[in-house]
Amino acid sequence: MWGKRTAFVALAGAMAWSVSVAHADGYEITPELVEAAKAEGTVVFYTATDVAVAEKLGKTFEEEYPGVKVQVERAGSERVFQRIGQEISTGIHNADVIETSDAVHFLMFKKEGWLASGLPANVLKDWPKEEQDADGQYAAYRAHLSVIAYRSDMIKDEEAPKSLADLLDPKWKGKMVKAHPGYSGTIMTATYAISQLLGWEYFEKLSAQDIMQVQSSTEPPKKLAQGERALQADGNEYNVFRLIDDGVPVKIVYATEGTPLVVGNAAVLAKAPHPNAAKLFYAYLFSQEAQQLNSDFGGLRSFHPGVKEKAGRTPIKDIKLLLPDSAGQEKEMENIKAKYEEYFGT
Amino acid sequence: MAFVELVGLTKQFGSLAVVNKINLAIDKGNLVCLLGPSGCGKTTTLRLIAGFIEPSGGEIRVGGKRISAPGASAPPEARNMSMIFQSYALWPHMTVYENVAYGLRLRKLPKTEIRARVDEILAATKLSALGERYPSELSGGQQQRVSLARALVIKPETLLLDEPLSNLDANLREEMRFEIRRLHDEFRYTTVYVTHDQSEAMTTADLIVVMNQGIIEQSGTPEDIYQRPMSEFVARFIGGTNIFKGKKVGTDSVACAGGLVLRCASGDFADQGETAVSVRHHDILLFADKPASTDANWIAGTVTRQIYLGSHRDYLVSIPGGETVRTVAPITVAIPVGQQVWLNFPPEHCRALAH
Amino acid sequence: MTSTVQAPVFNRGIDFSKPVFILLAAVLAVLVILPLFWLMVYSFTDIDRNVTFDNFIKLVTDRAMRRSFGIAIGMAALVGILACVVATPMAWLVARTDLPYARFVRILVTASFVTPPFLGAIAWEILAAPNSGILNILYRWIFGLTDGEFLFDIYTFTGLVFAISCYTFPYVFTLVANALDRVPSDLEDASSILGAKWLTTLRRVTFPMVVPAMLAGALIAILQALTMFGSPAILALPAGFHVITTKIWSLFQYPPKLELAAAAAIPLLLLTIILLRGQKWILGRKGYTVLGGKSGAPRVTELGKFKWLAVAFVFGILCLTVIFPYLALIKTAFTETIDAPLTWESFTLKHFNFVFFEFSATRLAVFNTLLLGVLTATICTVIALVVSYLVSRKSVAGAGILGVLATAPVAIPGIVLGVGLFLSYANPTFMLYGTLWILLIAFLTIEMPAGYQQLSSAFQGVHPELEEASRILGATRLKALWQITAPMLRTSVVATWCFVFIGTIRELSATILLTTANTKLVSVIIYDLNESGDLGAISVLGLLLLVVSFIVVYIASKMPLGAGRLQPRG
Repeated sequence: MWGKRTAFVALAGAMAWSVSVAHADGYEITPELVEAAKAEGTVVFYTATDVAVAEKLGKTFEEEYPGVKVQVERAGSERVFQRIGQEISTGIHNADVIETSDAVHFLMFKKEGWLASGLPANVLKDWPKEEQDADGQYAAYRAHLSVIAYRSDMIKDEEAPKSLADLLDPKWKGKMVKAHPGYSGTIMTATYAISQLLGWEYFEKLSAQDIMQVQSSTEPPKKLAQGERALQADGNEYNVFRLIDDGVPVKIVYATEGTPLVVGNAAVLAKAPHPNAAKLFYAYLFSQEAQQLNSDFGGLRSFHPGVKEKAGRTPIKDIKLLLPDSAGQEKEMENIKAKYEEYFGT
Repeated sequence: MAFVELVGLTKQFGSLAVVNKINLAIDKGNLVCLLGPSGCGKTTTLRLIAGFIEPSGGEIRVGGKRISAPGASAPPEARNMSMIFQSYALWPHMTVYENVAYGLRLRKLPKTEIRARVDEILAATKLSALGERYPSELSGGQQQRVSLARALVIKPETLLLDEPLSNLDANLREEMRFEIRRLHDEFRYTTVYVTHDQSEAMTTADLIVVMNQGIIEQSGTPEDIYQRPMSEFVARFIGGTNIFKGKKVGTDSVACAGGLVLRCASGDFADQGETAVSVRHHDILLFADKPASTDANWIAGTVTRQIYLGSHRDYLVSIPGGETVRTVAPITVAIPVGQQVWLNFPPEHCRALAH
Repeated sequence: MTSTVQAPVFNRGIDFSKPVFILLAAVLAVLVILPLFWLMVYSFTDIDRNVTFDNFIKLVTDRAMRRSFGIAIGMAALVGILACVVATPMAWLVARTDLPYARFVRILVTASFVTPPFLGAIAWEILAAPNSGILNILYRWIFGLTDGEFLFDIYTFTGLVFAISCYTFPYVFTLVANALDRVPSDLEDASSILGAKWLTTLRRVTFPMVVPAMLAGALIAILQALTMFGSPAILALPAGFHVITTKIWSLFQYPPKLELAAAAAIPLLLLTIILLRGQKWILGRKGYTVLGGKSGAPRVTELGKFKWLAVAFVFGILCLTVIFPYLALIKTAFTETIDAPLTWESFTLKHFNFVFFEFSATRLAVFNTLLLGVLTATICTVIALVVSYLVSRKSVAGAGILGVLATAPVAIPGIVLGVGLFLSYANPTFMLYGTLWILLIAFLTIEMPAGYQQLSSAFQGVHPELEEASRILGATRLKALWQITAPMLRTSVVATWCFVFIGTIRELSATILLTTANTKLVSVIIYDLNESGDLGAISVLGLLLLVVSFIVVYIASKMPLGAGRLQPRG
């Protein structure tokens, strides 16, 4: 029974792979692909994007391609990573499309040979070269920033911090919330970038500020929304956007030292149980429609040239960015976590 | 012919032999009492017979068939026995009727037969009116009867009783003793009855088995046990007795402390070491005046206690050598404390005990 | 009537106790030993499975690790003490005094037992987070204080101890109240007649009689606290400290340090064994059986002028453990944000809409949760019943080993068991990972100690002679168990079933490592949502979990009790 099933999965994977190779210069959504996807009926999407955004994306896809159901499995990046690792190493192939906010993960996935090749044509054409894998195994699905933000009803604008260094001011003691690099890929990336820029002394001093420690980078903005803390030291920009859209009095600060940029890659798995639905969904993820939805509803940054940013949001070209260095970060990860625990206790 | 046989039966808990190589044959239809102090192994023996525990050695045979041996014991339910427990073990969630009918239902008898037999036994145990009650709504004596009825209704080959009367008050206990004997005479089940109460054993048993420290000290009819104890332990345990210790002199006498020499008409003497002599309280004669001849089986002593008991008087007399002798005398013999008396131990009531 | 030898139909029957014993031993061994085996293998080997003691050396030399152990033990001990201090007087008030609404109090305590601890922790976040906590907002409003002032801070060590105690004290309460229900009044009368005042009787007779129950309950509370993952993950991490379970969990971050995690579980295992030994020793010395003899109804103390004080005490406790948290959850479920004022404008059903219609995981998770709950509760209760029977009656040589096996999982933190099971069953031989089976196995293993403890203490209250009477009349061991013991234990069995069901549907720590897309459970999606801070949706799902739990408890309590009456009361 199991043997048969495994063989089937392997076969399906092999077929998907050969199809992708045939379209090395990028594939389009063809009626045949849509029909094949409908025959499979489901696509399983492991994602680290905010659950409401991911669910919304799934719904619009289902409306666009009736007959293909999207099963959204949302967890923090590190959890998604842990789970996919557990599953694949035991021969379980559940996921079709995978997406996390930690670029390092995709280096690992690729090394393990877990990813299928083949990118949608528009990605090959429009995306910056450094945001797509040279072998066409993954590409930047989204980008977002880890930002400082504050409750404008609790902190006056002129008193608000302007820089990372301002956060060390004793007046913020007991007022800040911060996410954890061990749980959040975003914060891992941000912590690496900031430690490279300012050194670990910065975090040592920050840890003396009596910070409320949460796990996911989606959480600090929610603590702001609850009014539990007035200031976030880091956290997702897109969650803050969404709060602003909801009318919560929150303002973003792009630190003068620079704001860490976090790129979230997406890929189709080599042994996806629904290879065609996976391809269809994957292409949809990079479509203007989906990318615009990510931007409007999710507050995510996009590499799609056609995506228009909402009025009132600072365009990415006006922000001083700290660009990620996945290879450097990969080597430092253990050290980052150890240092972080040393200073922050968890 | 022996119906229940224990052959070299042994039960060890760890290194302690609670039952140590006992042999016993019980004739069909007999009521046997296992009698002894607590911890003597009598209850363990009973539970071995019931099959609740497995022997460490020896075997148990019923009707010539082996039912218990180390590693090869039939479970209790396959032994066609019945048991009455010290706690009565009535099931609190069943009515009296249901309790009694339980064993018959297990035997899948037809409903009408069950009803007939339960009604019959409830009548025999004077419980007819209480069938629909729950055990917690009964008095102790009634609970005891239900327990009896439940055990008897299945017509067991063997009936086991584990201190069945120890939770009853004295009057009821005496009444139930005779009740048990009456029911036994009526149904004649082979019965093993465990008790620590000698009068209970005397009243009910065909055969008394006195146990001590895991072994059988002596077995015999109530009369045997009482009249002809084989050991100091049995003599002390069954009925009140005085024990004197000394060396054997001549062929049939024992010289005890304080110059008392007892000629014994029965019993065994130890050739080496001490021999004990048992004389029952009521077999000792007490005299206020010095008799004519006091050479053997006589001694003088001082009354240290005297109690009026309605039917007789109970005396404690201290004799030379430090012993205190307990004896009884008719109501008419009233001697105040402190006065000198003479005691006579008739040889026919002196029993020598080698151990 | 003569002693005719009937053809005894039952003679043909085989005694199933040996095969059952062997089967159970095998099942339990697989459930317990396999994950433990892998735990041992991992803790004593390096990543290439070469034997090494490095993991333990790291354990001892790592300051952060030592600290997390110290904190966890301190926390668990305080939880145990707090649970006893609160629950014992409360149980006495409910069981032995004329406290008004005693029945109602019992129901509410059941409610706090039914509350998943992680949900309670989240509710207390809503109530007592220093800034947004409702209680702190009220405090500032009443005293006109500025932002930043607060009365409570749940994100502290004491906050954590408090939040865990709220949901572990019912273990002590239930056991002590049941024990008090069973202590016959003649024992107390005996003391009174010897001249003891009621307080002396209470102190010298009644209290010592329930000490074993109290310690047994405290032990469960301590072990629960020690091995709990959800509440510390929610409260301790924001406060900036680890307990041992969250520390172990953090070792599974990429790259996972399974070996160190396994090694870190070993001291926890030893600690638990020591605690259990201690409990056994205490119970062994002062154990008693009451059922079966004559026993009077429990005596009732009149509180008189202290009545209002007692009511205030009990009501205060219930506010902290049940009423406030539930109100907080309800409010959060129905309002936009947690600090939104209670007005018609802020009322919203958007969280419900999200959970039931937008969130794709809900329906499957609810189905899986209920299915696993029922299966686990049923199988676990049956196994626990048979095991505690075999153990308490010592009917098969070596039966004690079953008890050890059934109790052993208590020492394995759920999260570590999760790893052990993952290592055991997620391989080509079994391929159970990704199925509900692995979760069923996990839940059976996790719930077995609780089920076994419950039923074995119930067994200790049933005189063995009641079963022996049935067997000697011709019932096989299983029949006696079914016809005599089971009905007498019915309340305990039903309680155990509920215990296990509720324990299962709120299990999180092992689940979190074993769940996959198709085997999602409600507790996991609550945790996922907490990770992203969706308190509104959490409250909705939490209320759903609670409603299901209460329905189960209600149905169980309404079950017809048949013909039996255990202890008719006058």
